[in-house]
Amino acid sequence: MSEPPPQSAVKSARLLIIGLVAVILVLGMALIVLAIGQPAPAASTAARPDALANSDDACVTCHRRTTPGIVEQYGHSTMAGAKVTCRNCHEVKADYPGAVEHEGTYVLQQPTTAMCEKCHVQEVAEFMQSRHSLPAWVAFAGSKDLSPNLLAKYQAIPEGQFAPDKQRNAIAAMEGPDITQFACQSCHSIGRPNTDESVGKCAACHLRHEFSLEQARKPETCNNCHIGPDHPQWEIYQESAHGIAYATTGQNWNWNAAPGTLTVKDFPAPTCATCHFSGFGASGTTHDVGDRLTWYLFASLSERRPDWQGNMTHMQNVCRECHNKQFVDDFYTSADKLVDAVNALVKQSNDIMQPLTDKGLITNKQFDDPIKFTAYELWHHYGRTAKFGSWMQGADYTQWHGAYEVEKRLVELRTEVDQRLKAALMPSPVAAPTTVP
Amino acid sequence: MYHLATVFPPIRRVRLPLSRDQLMLLMAAINLIFLGIDIYLAHSISPTITPNEWIPIIFGPIAGVLLLVAGVIALRNRPLATVIATVVLMASIVVGLLGDYFHIMRAILPNAPTGQQVTVDLLVWAPPLLGPLMFALVGLLGISAAWVESPADSGTLVLLGGRHLRLPYSKTRAYFFMIGMGTLATVISSVLDHARTHFANPWLWIPTAAGVFGTVIAVAVAVFEKPRRADLIIYIVAMVLLMIVGVLGAVLHISTNLIAEGTIVGERFIHGAPFLAPLLFANMGMLGLIVLLDPAEQRR
Repeated sequence: MSEPPPQSAVKSARLLIIGLVAVILVLGMALIVLAIGQPAPAASTAARPDALANSDDACVTCHRRTTPGIVEQYGHSTMAGAKVTCRNCHEVKADYPGAVEHEGTYVLQQPTTAMCEKCHVQEVAEFMQSRHSLPAWVAFAGSKDLSPNLLAKYQAIPEGQFAPDKQRNAIAAMEGPDITQFACQSCHSIGRPNTDESVGKCAACHLRHEFSLEQARKPETCNNCHIGPDHPQWEIYQESAHGIAYATTGQNWNWNAAPGTLTVKDFPAPTCATCHFSGFGASGTTHDVGDRLTWYLFASLSERRPDWQGNMTHMQNVCRECHNKQFVDDFYTSADKLVDAVNALVKQSNDIMQPLTDKGLITNKQFDDPIKFTAYELWHHYGRTAKFGSWMQGADYTQWHGAYEVEKRLVELRTEVDQRLKAALMPSPVAAPTTVP
Repeated sequence: MYHLATVFPPIRRVRLPLSRDQLMLLMAAINLIFLGIDIYLAHSISPTITPNEWIPIIFGPIAGVLLLVAGVIALRNRPLATVIATVVLMASIVVGLLGDYFHIMRAILPNAPTGQQVTVDLLVWAPPLLGPLMFALVGLLGISAAWVESPADSGTLVLLGGRHLRLPYSKTRAYFFMIGMGTLATVISSVLDHARTHFANPWLWIPTAAGVFGTVIAVAVAVFEKPRRADLIIYIVAMVLLMIVGVLGAVLHISTNLIAEGTIVGERFIHGAPFLAPLLFANMGMLGLIVLLDPAEQRR
């Protein structure tokens, strides 16, 4: 019997190739079936695996004992999933400003925006152009302690040159750092100068160490600061139809939708982030909080922002996802008129106070007289509340916490000024208006 | 008789200006250039493109242009052109494998609890797992096209210095395999991406079905020693289907990214449905049809 011919290498290779192809095909088809058949993908922080569960990194193992909460939070974050390590944000060279020695290396206790900027260049650049950066700090602390470099950065901000009212600096000086550390500074430090001459605190909105997109998008994040009698945006939002929609149906919204893809399917009603930051409609994502604002509403006498027409378009792009053009245009026209009306009332208060200054009946110091508190609160608390209330559709705040209180303070001011002028045997030049404006 | 002529005999009278291999190399060049552009858009998802992420963005267009230059050189000096093309395409394979390594490393969580280090969920939300392999596929296809097979469809490549390399399959059958694998990579990429939307939209099933069909048909034709006319007709239908699905997918992706009144917002084209990705289906379909052309080198 003859021996079978030896199998050629070529034929053996052919079989191997077919076998390998078959394996790849079967595995590929299996992956397709698994991907199609799996339950809803886990995009939320809580559902993500702990990327640090079995890490033997020195930072992780030590801090799991000393500050376990940080490790637990960070392990579930997208940053940990992207292999961003503790050292990437915290570790610096020994001569880095603000560096402290820590377990054989040098770290920043709180990473500055310079560290975030290593990966998030655009976001930091946009933030730096906004009033959340140095203008927020200067409003509280003034600009006198800024280094030349930081002063130049401050002066380069287009919307930063709108002169901040010095009264807030005066309040901070009056209360002193022991109080303001827990008060004004806590919020206004969003734009603080850092030791390395960078500016700002990303963690003010992007809470460490989860850095959750859902958390940053939810209105509660903004209510940390945008709350209270002088800027009650949180209260106004809660009162508004947008806020009601959030409160009643927000649990069904897609909080983890990828940035730049948001539609009304993800957010059927807006939050603070939707209107002011998120890419929505024809407006792209921005970290410049003033990019869509037309007025300096925070000011005693509100003025238009430098590029208010462009900003208006950016904001109206968001509005137009739900509201028709006529509705939006009518709203803007009406709200503009309210700003003018409140400006007129605040100007009245300034005119009422002026004779006291002219006649030397009050000093030029801040807050050394009850009447100065009244005049301050008129615009700072109630005038602003009326303006914010109108633009964010909170009727009760516009009226009873806003305009009504402005009118009441006007009467108080007028009465007090009259009395002081009479006491000084001077004629009162200020008469109450005969018609309601 | 070559495969396309088996299906459409009158095609034998048509003389194309470029040979099959020249068309493959032209497609490789175009693919590399488009890959560079597509990857620039993909890597722009995070506003800061890291140094490693620049590699394919810079390599793609340069490699594509170099291939085109090699094509011109080939008119006068074929061996030199072949060497240049081979070097570029080997680099393309390296870039593809390196990119896939980076994407896989980004996807998995080596320190996660056991059973959670590699999950389908992680693969769904990770950077496209098989995307970088397109560079490797282009490299492989291109290298196959760069070297002359003589006699045609014999599996014997003519190397420098007159040496020969006997391969287990003819170039045509190798191409069929590569088309099959390329289509499989494309359909897996599309399924993983579409899984982010839970496959709620019924249109998403179309590329899945067309891709699986194209994969199986291409591999089957590769396995057949002598595919029959009916086999080739089904193969052509599969490839044309891939092309239609690719173009339709691109249109649907663009439509999804447009906002009200057809306004274009650049950010949505970067973060939203990748509008060039569906064209990979069309690309594989086109390459698949080119395989059917006459494998003989053109006589000058």
